[in-house]
Amino acid sequence: MRLRLSRSVVVVSLLALSACGSDTESEGTQRPSVVVSTPILGSLVTEIVGDSADVTVLMPNGVDPHGWEASPKEIEALSSADVVVINGLHLEESLEEAIDAARGDGVRVFEAADHVDVIVGVDEDEHSEDESGDVHSEDESDHGHADGDPHIWTDAAAMADVALALGDEFAEAGIDVGDRASVVYERLLTLDNDLRKLVDEVDASERKLVTGHESLAYLAARYEFELVGAVIPGLSSESEVSAGELAELKDLIEAESVGVIFSEAGTPDQVVEAIADETGVDVVELDTHLLPEDGTYDTFMTELVSAIVSALSS
Amino acid sequence: MSQLVEPFLDNEFMQRALLAGILVSFSCAIVGTYVVLRGLAFVGDALAHGVLPGVAGAVIVGAPVMLGAAAGAVAMIVGVGFITAKSRLSNDSAIGLLFIGLLALGVVLVSSSDELTGDLDAILFGEFLGVSWSDLAVQGIGLVLVAAVCVYAARPFLLLCFDPDLADAMGFGARRHHRLMLALVAGTVVVSFQAVGSLLVFGMLLAPAGTAALVTRRIGSMMMVAMLVGVLSTYIGLSCSYHFDLAAGASVVLSSVIIFFVVLISRSLRRPTVAGAEHE
Repeated sequence: MRLRLSRSVVVVSLLALSACGSDTESEGTQRPSVVVSTPILGSLVTEIVGDSADVTVLMPNGVDPHGWEASPKEIEALSSADVVVINGLHLEESLEEAIDAARGDGVRVFEAADHVDVIVGVDEDEHSEDESGDVHSEDESDHGHADGDPHIWTDAAAMADVALALGDEFAEAGIDVGDRASVVYERLLTLDNDLRKLVDEVDASERKLVTGHESLAYLAARYEFELVGAVIPGLSSESEVSAGELAELKDLIEAESVGVIFSEAGTPDQVVEAIADETGVDVVELDTHLLPEDGTYDTFMTELVSAIVSALSS
Repeated sequence: MSQLVEPFLDNEFMQRALLAGILVSFSCAIVGTYVVLRGLAFVGDALAHGVLPGVAGAVIVGAPVMLGAAAGAVAMIVGVGFITAKSRLSNDSAIGLLFIGLLALGVVLVSSSDELTGDLDAILFGEFLGVSWSDLAVQGIGLVLVAAVCVYAARPFLLLCFDPDLADAMGFGARRHHRLMLALVAGTVVVSFQAVGSLLVFGMLLAPAGTAALVTRRIGSMMMVAMLVGVLSTYIGLSCSYHFDLAAGASVVLSSVIIFFVVLISRSLRRPTVAGAEHE
């Protein structure tokens, strides 16, 4: 149970909000409005959209999506938007009803997860033995699968595909984004390449990840890390810790001679400290949901991967 | 057999959790007995929730968590006294009002600060498996203090439970000792909430003492039985959390409530009427 009250909206233009979105297209002076759920998607969308639309990002930077709740004003912005961009796979759990309602009213909803190969969460009982879960491409019947891992943004190549798909989406919605989508696509592929080079600095035998919750499956699959385990095995940071899972994790850390536990927002600090103490490993905090100061996805990924690389190679 | 002890032998965090559970059980047994006998359950519950805004405030300004928790509890006790003195509202209305007010304040504080993201869980449900040696030291000191106060004030507390007027007549000051008792409840909540959480600590206060009240009538033996039930539920809860992958704090509290019902039902099977129990 986690409660969170409404947060202030990051509003690029208040004008877009005060006018009702459904009229925006008919009023020539009004720019179309795009509402994005997460700051990370927001940074890509803002870049692709440029000056062609007003972009509103709903979640404050760094917030744990599981604990966040939209304010009435934000729901209003969402239901009157021209395009709503979400991550999907139940990351926006508190927005789901509002999104369904908006979809019913004819608002275009773009789900980033529709454009990547979704990793399906492994069975809880087997999580520790399994390496990174089986990757399989998502078909329509799988859409919104309850066990689909929502942390797609930790794979830069997947986000490149999302950027390209966003370009098509905006074109269909009548928002002219020029060639910016393919520019972003190309750049993210370069980023992906750079990240691979970064990761190559770590010996293959040392690429082992123990995380707060299971948030790095995409990163692990893409950049060839082994997921050893998580303090809270599960895709959501919401679950509570159990003694059995903690003992299992402790044994794994020792058996696999892991040197670092990566904690993140929503990880129970004291429990992580206790395990680190007992196994003699370091704790390194990762920002898996927080955009860096310059607000770009590229810096976010570079910093995330660099933090992992330097922790593992020290 | 080895499955019963091995989890605790192999894992230091399990040993610390067990030790924390025992210390919390002892404090809660002593104080919980008075809570049950004097009918202070509601104020106890309110104190446990009053801790929330205090803790949130402490995290925001960077003060020790326990200090914040204590401040929340004090605000609760003073507030109840103020409302009942200045209005005709009954005690439980005053408690309810403050309880909700403080809980709401806690949620507002937690949700308005980015620093606290994810910490509300830790405050409400505790980090039983993350208990550190310094937490244990605090709980040990808390237990010694609680026990000392109860030994010192044993007679007035006894009178307060069964005949408050007599306590006054004998010069013990019923009001003064009532406040002392509330302070004890608050103190117990403050030192215990880090392990089981502010939402569940109240279960440790009430369920073992309530179970003890079913089987014995003397204060001393009630405390003993409550300690036993508390320790037993800690052991059962942690073992279940280990073997069946359940949330630790909740498993412990759930065990104690289940023990209460098992005792209650087995008693009523033996003696079909409650009246029968009165003739013991």
